[in-house]
Amino acid sequence: MSKAGDWRNYKRVLLPPVKDLHKLDVYEANDGYSALREILTTDKWNPTSVTDEVKKSGLKGRGGAGFPTGLKWSFMPPVDPDVPRYLCCNGDESEPGTFKDRQLLEYNPHSVFEGMLIASYAMSIKTGFLYIRGEFADWITHMEAELEKAYEKGYVGKNIMGSDFSCDIVIHKGAGAYICGEESSLMNSLEGKRAYPRIKPPFPAQKGVWGYPTTINNVETPACAPLIIRNGGDWYAGIGAEAHPGPVLYGISGHVNRPGVYEYPTGMLITDLVNEVAGGMRGGKKLKAIVPGGSSTPVLRADMIDGVTMDADSLREAGSMMGTSGMLIMDEDTDMVSFLRRITHFYHHESCGQCTPCREGTGWLENILTRIDEGEGNLRDLDLLMDLCSQMEGRTVCALADAAAWPVRYTIDRFRDEFEAKCKPSLVASGVDLATA
Amino acid sequence: MPTITIDNQTFEFEGQQGLLQFCLDNGVDLPHFCYHPAMSAPANCRQCLVEVGMPQRDRATGEVNTDDEGNPVIQFMPKLQTSCSMQMSDGMVVKTHRSSELVKRAQKDTLEFLLINHPLDCPICDQAGHCPLQNQAYKHGPEGSRFEFEKVHKPKHIDLGPRVVLDGERCINCTRCVRFTREVSNSDQLTIIERGVKNYPMTPPGVDFDEPYSMNVIDICPVGALTSKEHRFKARIWEMSKTASISTVGAKGSNCYYWVKDNQIMKVTPRTNMDVNEFWLADEERLAYSTFNENRPEGPTVEGAPVSWEMAWKAAADCLKGVEGSRILFLGSAWATVEDNYLLAKMADALGAPAPVYLPHVEKGHGDGWLQTDDRAPNAQGCERLGIHATSPEAIKARLEAGEVDVLYVMEDDPVASGVCSASDMSGIKVVLHHYNTTNQTLEAADVAIPAATAVETVGTFVNVDGHAQRLRPAKAIAGVNRTLSMEIGKCRADRHGTPFDKWYNESNLVNCQPGWVALPAVAAEIGLEMNYKGPKQIMEEVSSSNPAFSGATYSAMGELGVRLESTGVTA
Amino acid sequence: MADFIKNPVVGLPDRKPEPVIPADQLHFSEAEKTQIQTWISQYPSADGAVMRALWLAQEKFGFLPPEVIQLVADELGIPYTNAYGVATFYTQYFKEKKGTYVLDVCTCFSCQLCGGFDMLHYLEEKLGVHKGETTDDGVFTVQEAECLGACGSAPMLQITNGAYVHNLTKEKIDALVDALREDKMPAFTSVTLPQDEDEMGGNRRTDVESTETYQAGPVSETTR
Ligand SMILES: Cc1cc2nc3c(=O)[nH]c(=O)nc-3n(C[C@H](O)[C@H](O)[C@H](O)COP(=O)(O)O)c2cc1C
Ligand code: SF4
Ligand code: SF4
Ligand code: FES
Ligand code: FES
Repeated sequence: MSKAGDWRNYKRVLLPPVKDLHKLDVYEANDGYSALREILTTDKWNPTSVTDEVKKSGLKGRGGAGFPTGLKWSFMPPVDPDVPRYLCCNGDESEPGTFKDRQLLEYNPHSVFEGMLIASYAMSIKTGFLYIRGEFADWITHMEAELEKAYEKGYVGKNIMGSDFSCDIVIHKGAGAYICGEESSLMNSLEGKRAYPRIKPPFPAQKGVWGYPTTINNVETPACAPLIIRNGGDWYAGIGAEAHPGPVLYGISGHVNRPGVYEYPTGMLITDLVNEVAGGMRGGKKLKAIVPGGSSTPVLRADMIDGVTMDADSLREAGSMMGTSGMLIMDEDTDMVSFLRRITHFYHHESCGQCTPCREGTGWLENILTRIDEGEGNLRDLDLLMDLCSQMEGRTVCALADAAAWPVRYTIDRFRDEFEAKCKPSLVASGVDLATA
Repeated sequence: MPTITIDNQTFEFEGQQGLLQFCLDNGVDLPHFCYHPAMSAPANCRQCLVEVGMPQRDRATGEVNTDDEGNPVIQFMPKLQTSCSMQMSDGMVVKTHRSSELVKRAQKDTLEFLLINHPLDCPICDQAGHCPLQNQAYKHGPEGSRFEFEKVHKPKHIDLGPRVVLDGERCINCTRCVRFTREVSNSDQLTIIERGVKNYPMTPPGVDFDEPYSMNVIDICPVGALTSKEHRFKARIWEMSKTASISTVGAKGSNCYYWVKDNQIMKVTPRTNMDVNEFWLADEERLAYSTFNENRPEGPTVEGAPVSWEMAWKAAADCLKGVEGSRILFLGSAWATVEDNYLLAKMADALGAPAPVYLPHVEKGHGDGWLQTDDRAPNAQGCERLGIHATSPEAIKARLEAGEVDVLYVMEDDPVASGVCSASDMSGIKVVLHHYNTTNQTLEAADVAIPAATAVETVGTFVNVDGHAQRLRPAKAIAGVNRTLSMEIGKCRADRHGTPFDKWYNESNLVNCQPGWVALPAVAAEIGLEMNYKGPKQIMEEVSSSNPAFSGATYSAMGELGVRLESTGVTA
Repeated sequence: MADFIKNPVVGLPDRKPEPVIPADQLHFSEAEKTQIQTWISQYPSADGAVMRALWLAQEKFGFLPPEVIQLVADELGIPYTNAYGVATFYTQYFKEKKGTYVLDVCTCFSCQLCGGFDMLHYLEEKLGVHKGETTDDGVFTVQEAECLGACGSAPMLQITNGAYVHNLTKEKIDALVDALREDKMPAFTSVTLPQDEDEMGGNRRTDVESTETYQAGPVSETTR
């Protein structure tokens, strides 16, 4: 059952249908920066009440892990005027199959800025870094131009709107490394170090960038904050799936007629998204599988998605995860072995290389899958792959090793026949007498 | 006091402590590679994983929940934790490979990963025999390899700098070497380059890894990826004996091991002493050992002609006999031990001569506030504390020129090389010279030349620049038999179990020389002075009990790590 | 260039390279220095500005030979070694000279399933190079890229760390190569949200020249 209610008549709020909303004056004319103004100029709001409202909204992070945002904000230690604190907004968007942040940055940049300012206010932060992957050069230029306008208008910077709240936003340009999306790697990258993830604890809220308390959110996450302040946490909590509410940007790609980024409530039926929203399967082919939330989330076979909705609970029950809600749709002609081989290549290429199981394991996975894909694999290889996954999962500094292992584990588990078919036939199974062979 | 339970054994502990170090200190041999106590813990090798649990607490009351038998309920963390990055806390329960199959399995798995791209060239690797990777793979690793692909090829035999060679394929990316240059020596000469499986440590183009402490990375590298250019392929670890002693290069007295094969020093490596050099040794302290091996004298000489030891004692005594004390100049030495200088001072006193003086070997600007010191000699502090004070070459020269000196008695130094005067300028006086090397420029002027045992062949005490009194131990044997020396010498397996009839027992390179504490009493006896000591230990007992500047500095108190003497206010 | 997985060889950078940037050109202009100082002021320590400064240097000099990395480090007052370690970590920094136009064809994930490899191979064949190589005339370098965050408009490519070209076809590649040979960079293209098409009749931005819609990707002929 869809948890998205009357989604066909859903009115978009993250990317409302307003021409040129990315321009500051248009954004202002459409309630832009009014949430920030209300916070800064009315007595109703203080940092705690803002955080409480976000808690009430039930907003969960949109960066992949789905951690409750209000709770994350409340992990920041009490304010010490001598200790700086930072916000990092994660626009590294590099998880294969994910392309929604880029659209948000292009079409509604000020909602990200306003959200960052609200988050900063709630956590008494004076500097927010917006980390954008280097490949998004054109969007960085675009964001910088809009940020400049927001500075000119006094929405960012010193004494915002005449209040005693001051906050700067700094746009940081990445340079090509998936790992920088991992929060602690992002912090090292910001600090001008090689972007190795850091061991936790200490957690960012205790010791983040430059050793100071830090909170990290995906860009879509704070973009929800102005909506929550304007319309109330209860309103937000009422959108979509109860336990994982809100509007969400679905990035749909692959073998559908109408790929693209769509805004709908959480809790949409996968079948609705594929068949109705994205216009059905390309060329009338049959659906074979979907990856619901970026390359690291476990693939679901077509027969596993009946009644499954896009929210944490339903996807967990179905055997996968919400991830980044970047959905890849695959038709019946898809070669799952080649597909998985290319995924393992990605993780091998992107491992930062500091931990043993990830540095060595990702390459081994790619080696074996390349061999199987080229018809040189053995059935034994499939068990070895599973073993290697167990040797990588949960044993590393960051979750990249898990992200590399899960697709292997689940794709093989769920499409074993296809993998076996590509392997060299087992001598036993093909009836050869081993003693004489 | 807070407690922690490790494999069912409960320990008390105090303060903030890291779990891995605590385990190591308490005899739990947890395998690890990247952790080093002097540097930050990136927890990247993943070898030190353990199970960690904490007593479960009631959410409402904060009280520890207990089971039916009243024992606390332990909640284990869902993932294995790296013990190197784990801070201990009260009530923590830890399971290592000794009690957890999961941990055992994880250790084996990580080792399997570490070995897939490792060249496994132990037979030609200098690290073999003392390689943490080899040892741990042997103890905890898998039996075979399931990896059936081409290994990653990386640059090999690369001179990172003048003294350190890199084999990129052996590197396991623990980053210890990089962290050393970043956090310890602050030279910032090394970084990991590239990403992922292509990672390896390197200098940036145009930069040589030539900092004065570069060779420390060789010791801390847990594999054979970094080796010493100078020691490479010279000796396998099991062919050498190792002796815990101290460095004699400079006044820091860094604690070190001397490695010996065939009675030659093969290399010098650091020995941990948190009060002196911590874990480190300067490159110069490692490399200045050729003086111990080369240009060594072949027994005593009189007027340049070889003589027996008895003749030498006699000849030296003859030089001194009948000379008015005030006309004998005793030159002590900042290269010689406290014991030897003490005996010299005693001899001077008995002969009515003025107290010995010594020539400082100070090179202004050489010191770096760390292990390199301006003072290039190891025991100036010891001399000063004995009342043997520094003089200058000019002052000695003036005395010689003024004709005030009939006999110059030199303990293990080289006044000609120090610029006192030329050897020919000494022709008018008698010179007795205790010397280490045939390169000693005063030899030419010496009437009697007595080969002295060097710091690696004797037993004795040095006092370092900070007033730390430490013991020297003999690392190599000298010709002849000396019970004190053979008891103290470091032995390798072959030495310990061998007899002179076994073919590995080696008599090559034995230098015919004598320690000062043998030579000086022998000369004294010929003059009729009594200097009866059982050995240097007894001499030091006398020094420490009679001279407050050495209070407490007995052999047993100094042990392997030395004792810090009270400051005397005297600086060498 | 064979795939790393088939030929896993990691090279050694030239450790004593001759500088390639003439000494009289190896400096930042006053304006560039001011820009770098502004970046430095935005971070708690100068190290934070290293990525931006490397970008600026790469745009100025075309790539990052060691002397340029040294220049950046000196301008920031940070160890050269650190700047070098950073420069080699990220794929977008060019440590050696590349073609005037670097074509990064995504073959990852969604692009793989929508003809990314077809586009890569077509380009390789057309330009007579393998991925990772530069054409003899020095104009084009072809590279295989990981997901570039434009999976809905697969297959796609990026030109020299800048413009994205979406919904690639062979015809589009032909036109692109011709245009680039005449130094005509394609304009920034805004990809219209399907919901905007429905609700607003097209792209929401009035300030972009070039727009495109998300389209179903072609059927891929090969996936490797
Ligand atoms: C390997 C890896 C890559 C990641 N990449 C991204 C990314 O590109 N963008 C992102 O927002 N979060 C990414 N994350 C998740 C972040 O670590 C972090 O959880 C997230 O930014 C928190 O934001 P949220 O609470 O708003 O979801 C990644 C995590 C891992 C382990
Ligand atoms: S898991 Fe992989 S990417 Fe993450 S820190 Fe370890 S090596 Fe780097
Ligand atoms: S060279 Fe040795 S110390 Fe340096 S990273 Fe490699 S294994 Fe560690
Ligand atoms: S020693 Fe703990 S991870 Fe390396
Ligand atoms: S998969 Fe090609 S852009 Fe994402």
